Amino acid sequence: MIATLILKTWHDRWKSFLGWALVIIFMTSIQLTVYPTIAQSGAAAKQFIDSYPDAFKEMFRMTDYTSGSGFLATELYSLMLPLVIIGLGVTWGAGATAEEEERGTADILFTLPVSRNQIIIGKIIAALVAMTILGSITLINIEIGKGLADLTVSSVNTLYATISCVLLGFFFAGISLILGSVSGKKGIALGGSTGLAIVAFLFFSLAPLVDTFDYLTPINPFQWAIGENQLAEGLDAIGMIKLGIASVALYCGALFFLNRRDIRA
Amino acid sequence: MSVVISLNKLSKNYGNSRGITDISFDISRGEVFGFLGPNGAGKTTALRTLVGLIKATSGSARILCYDALHSSSELRSKIGYLPGSLSLYKNYTGLELLHFLAKMRQLNCDDAIKDFAQRLNLDLNRKIGDLSQGNRQKVGVIQAFMHKPEVLLLDEPTGGLDPLSQRAFEDMLDEVQARGATIMLSSHVLSEVEHLADRIAIVNEGRLLVVEHISVLKERAIRKLDLNFDTEVSIELFKNITSIKDLQSHGTQISCSVIGSETEVLKVAVENNVRSVNSHETSLEEIFLDLVAKEVK
Repeated sequence: MIATLILKTWHDRWKSFLGWALVIIFMTSIQLTVYPTIAQSGAAAKQFIDSYPDAFKEMFRMTDYTSGSGFLATELYSLMLPLVIIGLGVTWGAGATAEEEERGTADILFTLPVSRNQIIIGKIIAALVAMTILGSITLINIEIGKGLADLTVSSVNTLYATISCVLLGFFFAGISLILGSVSGKKGIALGGSTGLAIVAFLFFSLAPLVDTFDYLTPINPFQWAIGENQLAEGLDAIGMIKLGIASVALYCGALFFLNRRDIRA
Repeated sequence: MSVVISLNKLSKNYGNSRGITDISFDISRGEVFGFLGPNGAGKTTALRTLVGLIKATSGSARILCYDALHSSSELRSKIGYLPGSLSLYKNYTGLELLHFLAKMRQLNCDDAIKDFAQRLNLDLNRKIGDLSQGNRQKVGVIQAFMHKPEVLLLDEPTGGLDPLSQRAFEDMLDEVQARGATIMLSSHVLSEVEHLADRIAIVNEGRLLVVEHISVLKERAIRKLDLNFDTEVSIELFKNITSIKDLQSHGTQISCSVIGSETEVLKVAVENNVRSVNSHETSLEEIFLDLVAKEVK
């Protein structure tokens, strides 16, 4: 039955997924196309980056821009890839139960011989698969394109960085899911999770500049996902584990709240 | 007969005027039970509580041998539920949706789906978003019936159905009743319930007013009689009859209202050479309005 629910979720959302996938393919391809020009212009590019204010460079972790890992970290992994995966995650998370309640289809779905837990699990698995596929598409795109663009980056490190971005998507999908489970309102789920992602990113970006934000960095999911620059530095297992545990906790919270309240008419 | 649905002081308090309070009744196997009340009376709340969509504040409810308030998947597999405000996945065709729902029940309902669609004259290949309200209701009816449930909980089932489809729906109800299914259907269309249900419950503002066989309710109800005589008859002859109310004389006609047996009234009328008697059958609607009016007072 869970498999049937997963397939149904995909049936409902494949067009949306296709849109997100095209965005990620387009973005990655454009960046890889631009890279040879950046690499060839070596000193000029470095000078160009150096001309940015220090604050800006720190905000977007613009270090080592002409190297393959530095370029990908700045152009793709510091904002764009997390943004796309989070975008898909929060949309699918809000769609899991809140959208069903809001459009009234929950009365049919939740009176089938499946538990509320099974419904949430089926829907969240569908979302996790979608985010994993997005990450995989990015990874494959980079692996194919880096040879053509003469971009040097460790495949293993790219895998680690991509996994972290996918896990970040899992986390914000969990935020969206739990908000939907508590409120039964798609707007709250979508708005709340997107807003929280923006605030978390702002705190993460401004932390190097504003000392008062430092105390939030250890609990910031962006720090867990991209704070350690895995493209250059390698595996950040602790960050991944934190994201994984927090995501599972959010899904469990969503089950807890949904099982204890009325389904909206 | 064994009790299949049993509500015991079932209450749902929303903290305002909505909800239900201390609803109790039993429904036996094979019974068609009408659940009547004006809009907002609590019918949908009671039905949604029984299928586990909302949590009761207090009381208990059993369906078959299960605690309905801790609705299990096993119990839901034996229930066919049609929501009052039916919303379906608009991007599916009727057939795709019904196949999905059958799959979720781990059943193959292809024959039943085909049969019911034919009887309800429904094109299953059209997107639900393109269907009229009536045709969407037909999809809702089929999904409630297709898995041959032991219990049917139907909230305003004929809303939007055309007369031919209503007839087909009634035939479907007769068939499931004949195979022993128990049916609870809510409605505010009283004439509909009158010829479908064996017994009815009437609720108003979340409270149960009455649970009774329709025939008994009608028996207890006030009926109006017009007694026509060839000559003028004294009204005094009828004044001592206890079952009479609102006695009026209009020349050779005496009009009155009777509660309970009409025997005594007719006896006096015959003794005085009554020419004709017009009895106005009380509709369920009049009984309903009378009960609700008394409640409001």
